[in-house]
Amino acid sequence: MNYAKHEHHDFAGASAQALTDPPLQAALARLTDILMAGNRRSYAALADSSALRDHAKRIKEHALAHLDRYLEELEQTVTKRGGKVHWAATAEDARQIVVNIARQAGCKKAVKSKSMTSEEIHLNPALEKAGVEVTETDFGEFIIQIAGERPSHLVAPAVHHTRESIARVMSHHLQESLPDDARSLAMTGRRVLREKFYQADLGITGANFVVAQTGTIVLVTNEGNGRLTTTCPRVHVAIAGIEKVIPRFSDLPVFLKLLARGATGQTLSVYTTIITGARQPGEMDGPEEFHLVLLDNGRSKILGSPFRESLQCIRCGACLNACPVYRRIGGHAYGGVYSGPIGSILTPLYDSVSLNPDLPHASSLCGACQAACPVKINIPHMLIGLRQMQHRYKPARLEDLAYAAWKEVLRRPWLYRLSLRFAKVFLRLFAQDGWLRRLPGPGSGWTQVRDFPAPAKRTFRDRWKELNS
Amino acid sequence: MTTREAFLQRVRQAVVEGNRLTAAPPMPERGRTGYQGAGADPVPRFCQELRNAGGVAHEAKSSEHARAIVRELVSTKSARKLLLSRGGIVERLELPRLLRDMGSEVLIADALPASTKDAFFQADLGISNVAYLVAETGTVVVATSAITPPSPLGKGVEGEGRRVGADPRSISLLPPVHIAVAQRNQILPDLFDLFDLFSPIGAKPQFPPSCLTLITGPSKTGDIELKLVTGVHGPGEVHVVICD
Ligand code: SF4
Repeated sequence: MNYAKHEHHDFAGASAQALTDPPLQAALARLTDILMAGNRRSYAALADSSALRDHAKRIKEHALAHLDRYLEELEQTVTKRGGKVHWAATAEDARQIVVNIARQAGCKKAVKSKSMTSEEIHLNPALEKAGVEVTETDFGEFIIQIAGERPSHLVAPAVHHTRESIARVMSHHLQESLPDDARSLAMTGRRVLREKFYQADLGITGANFVVAQTGTIVLVTNEGNGRLTTTCPRVHVAIAGIEKVIPRFSDLPVFLKLLARGATGQTLSVYTTIITGARQPGEMDGPEEFHLVLLDNGRSKILGSPFRESLQCIRCGACLNACPVYRRIGGHAYGGVYSGPIGSILTPLYDSVSLNPDLPHASSLCGACQAACPVKINIPHMLIGLRQMQHRYKPARLEDLAYAAWKEVLRRPWLYRLSLRFAKVFLRLFAQDGWLRRLPGPGSGWTQVRDFPAPAKRTFRDRWKELNS
Repeated sequence: MTTREAFLQRVRQAVVEGNRLTAAPPMPERGRTGYQGAGADPVPRFCQELRNAGGVAHEAKSSEHARAIVRELVSTKSARKLLLSRGGIVERLELPRLLRDMGSEVLIADALPASTKDAFFQADLGISNVAYLVAETGTVVVATSAITPPSPLGKGVEGEGRRVGADPRSISLLPPVHIAVAQRNQILPDLFDLFDLFSPIGAKPQFPPSCLTLITGPSKTGDIELKLVTGVHGPGEVHVVICD
């Protein structure tokens, strides 16, 4: 199966495939090392970054705790500035709304700036079915669009591609043979996409932040495609999950100071585009219409659940870069739109807990994700919460039995000592130079992939007794 | 029930349910948390940060010097079609005349006829004013309409309540080279200072311009094996000329 092309529920199979893909391994190591180094360096260089991250988190907590109120305020301010708010309860609603906007405005050619929300609702096929040509304009997204694939990282969607494979994909698409150096590939991209911007009549974006107080949406990009998408076409549609709403305009810089630092180590991304309504009278350029599609698609359910904290995510990708699991298996293994530690929470919640049984376990709970997260989301805690939920749905009888037996043993010191002795004798049967390389039964799950240290000849308890005598 | 009401009803209910699990915290005050500032003189900090982001800072000692810098840039880029903002420092430096005299085709991006789009797409170089500069991050701020800073908060800007900046989106976006001309007193020390300019007056929100753009260096992509390539969509070169 080509895991890059389709969403799936085969975490184990996809991970195994990723682990035996040397170019992917090299690309992931390079990306995550560089981005994590930037993350650590820039948090360290920002005076009281920890306090600022706490502050950002509190703003999000507050916004979510009063989200109904802020959504209504947002609707008022957007309308006041001549924009239109649309309410999309489901992905299907959202697709329909965007298709209708395109139809009513007579738009035939859409350009899109990178938006995870539009990936989530599978917008492109719906628009194309309605006769609207859609072009992804973030360079990485453009590559994977013409390759027919899915993004594999929140901020570096084409990280799984090499220079050579990008040249191959682009040459095939453009029917000309292109050299495989980064600069000329990027410049070819510029030329091709400029033409698309010139022709486009519809610009589709996500939103990194939405401000209730002023009806403002914010786009953060490094390439500038977000700016072109909101400058050239005559209609602009922004699609935002309801969790993107923050209360005040003055809360924005708190997040802006953290987003790029957390994601790449930049003090600020190259372009921060702060849009409040459509083009005003007397202005030279910019869209004539502005639409904001507010998407629920399962978010309200999470808002009322113990997993509310996951809605604080600002999609910076830092937890992916920090995660020892993501760093080896990459984004496609996770099966859904969102990958890495935060994806391991979002995919089960949005998609289905029972169809994604492995995701909450794709973590060693080391906490590196939380340490890297600009809003300090307690990801490990929520992963454990999901594991508990799984257990409630589908109790593991054997595991329960084992733990019950273990409990009985721990309550009786004599039994504990006796079982230790047995375990030692038994395990030493399999030992070779101090290591257990192959264990039978359930133990084989461990030794198939790594060795286990053999028990010492003398137990700690024996030695302790000796030391004290 | 309309779609909108049903939508909001679901959110309302989820807010109540979730708030039962975790108490709703009051809106925190930021105070000085995270304020970086820029020391006694923000100019060197701005120039350093702009360089870090890949841009080029030019400090002009006089108007004549500033004009010389711009002329030099335009001629080394052999730019023929220039797109200029109206008014502001661009006009105070008399750049349109200077550049026309050099033989360039100068378009003032204001009240251009219907063929504007082609003119915008074909320009080789754009020269804009700025609303502000931010020293902390080396950022150029351009706005689509004039910003009137509320007088008590208008720090860093000479003349209280003076209107600053009005530039079309395209000038700093479509041409491959962008030159921004600014004055020293347009530098704000910290990103927070910029956003605080829009603090509501009483209960009334102050709307920012339809598009406020923060530009920090040239357009960049790392999508090809993380090799940094500049100019993939926006300008590949950003110059900031700071006049006294
Ligand atoms: S959970 Fe935190 S670190 Fe991960 S993408 Fe979201 S904001 Fe970034």
